[in-house]
Amino acid sequence: MARKGILVMLVTLAAWLFSIIYLLPFVWMVGTSFKPIGEWGLPTLIPNQVTLNNYYEVLVTGGVYGVRGHFPPIMRYLINSLTISITVAVVTSLLGALTAYGIVRFMAGGTFFVNWILSLRMIPPVVILYPLVVMTKTVGLYNTTAGLIMVYPVITLPITTWFMIGTFKSIPRETEEAALIDGCTHFQAFYRVSLPQAAIGLAASAIFAFIFSWSEFLIPLLLAPGEAAMPLTVFAAYFSNQYGILWGPLSAAAVITAIPVTATAIAIQKYLIRGLTLGFVR
Amino acid sequence: MRTRGTQFIAPTLILLIVLVIYPTIYLYYMVFHSFNPLFEVAVRFVGLQNFTTFLNDPDAHYSIFAMLVLMSVTVPTQIVLGTLLAILFTSPYLKGKVVLRSIMLIPLSIPAIIIGLNWKMIFFSYGPLNSFLEAVGLPTQPWLSAPFGSTFNTIFVLAVLDVWQWTPFVALAVASGIEGIPSYVREAAEIDGASRLQMIRHIVLPLSKTVIVIVLFFRIIDSLKLFDIIYMLTAGGPGNITTTLPFYIYKVGFTLTAPKADLGYAALLAVVLLMIATVLVLLVLTRVLYVKRMIWGD
Repeated sequence: MARKGILVMLVTLAAWLFSIIYLLPFVWMVGTSFKPIGEWGLPTLIPNQVTLNNYYEVLVTGGVYGVRGHFPPIMRYLINSLTISITVAVVTSLLGALTAYGIVRFMAGGTFFVNWILSLRMIPPVVILYPLVVMTKTVGLYNTTAGLIMVYPVITLPITTWFMIGTFKSIPRETEEAALIDGCTHFQAFYRVSLPQAAIGLAASAIFAFIFSWSEFLIPLLLAPGEAAMPLTVFAAYFSNQYGILWGPLSAAAVITAIPVTATAIAIQKYLIRGLTLGFVR
Repeated sequence: MRTRGTQFIAPTLILLIVLVIYPTIYLYYMVFHSFNPLFEVAVRFVGLQNFTTFLNDPDAHYSIFAMLVLMSVTVPTQIVLGTLLAILFTSPYLKGKVVLRSIMLIPLSIPAIIIGLNWKMIFFSYGPLNSFLEAVGLPTQPWLSAPFGSTFNTIFVLAVLDVWQWTPFVALAVASGIEGIPSYVREAAEIDGASRLQMIRHIVLPLSKTVIVIVLFFRIIDSLKLFDIIYMLTAGGPGNITTTLPFYIYKVGFTLTAPKADLGYAALLAVVLLMIATVLVLLVLTRVLYVKRMIWGD
């Protein structure tokens, strides 16, 4: 028994030590976001003097650092990111549910269609981006949030569809069949009977779509380089290239960009691996 | 049976035709054309010229090589390290599993561009890593230009970021695979007197093989997309050392002042990348995932 006690101590200690060391780079950045200007470059994890000034500047006032330049407040980019990600999450989770339902219950499109959707997850976005730039320019959606909302489903639809395939597979058919006998159409059976049963899965797939659209960088970099639709990720890159030495505000902006997705990922951790592997690992 | 569900997939199908099929057709059209909006007014037909450019372009060949080097460093490291971590995380001797797992979710949930930003500061010449090395008396390194005396090593610095971000993914996925092993299998092995190490070697690893293969597949696919951290940390440099194929496509197709910048040539490079991805996808779709059986049963 004593041997087991020692093992528990050793294994637990090793795992925790490893995890803490693993996260040091991120912890350092979070620490830096609370540091006053003199401490930015130091390798210390906890600021000697804690300040909220970086966050205040980044979110509200913007910053002026003399010869090092000045930067605008990120509020508008934050709003862009939220608008885009929330819209894409709602639209593609519903579309994904609809598609998955057709696939699971009716084999709509057959093996080819479902394989094709899966294969879209494998296409590197850089491959199809130039035609999409031309297309959005032609229809006047270049540099707009609407344009990004239209294009992001390339990334998110395969994920939500495959996630919902798993969800619908685990829901029994019987209640649906009862609804059909009572005179519902297939579509009514879908949204009155099956969708409510899949509510949790639907919410999880919406959060996935949110996480992926929020983190997307290459598409907005090429499709919305202007101020009007620029999301936080692109702004963070631009900020870092222009004023790379303003580590306090830069870290604050980075933390603000990371928090919404990190928090939601932890909230849905039960589904996270399932979503990231499109349901192949449960 | 098959036509009945069409109304359910129609909206997605239409959207994806616009967003994927049309661009793909356009891509193959551009392969035989040449166009640089900076110097030319219209797309012009050039036949197979882009192919000869590709065959005679050492930068393109190098970019494929760089992509494969990066992949063959990051993916195996992630798999091995992640599997070891998964064994640690499923150890019956570990306390506080739930909290530990939440902590390990952090790296994989941070947007890649923010991870790039984070490590860019860490690797900066006067950044925290070099300050730390100086403080403990080790030589500092120019991490983003020529660490340990060679510019080529910059690729391995990028690999560190990718490994940092995605090892927890492998660990968590394999851990959930290990937990899916039925308890009677373990119990039977225990009754037969298997030690913990024998258990890992003969029960845990063989039975989580499928999960490991699936994870491997996703890591390979995603490593072909790696772009954000390269853009952030090195922008393909120094020289073209970290210009992998996706980044080279970006340079040729979207940085119109770059040498060889041409939308037709970029399209050809994109087709090459697509072909590399397709080969890997087909291999796995047909051999590993058994899509048909998974959804509709046998």
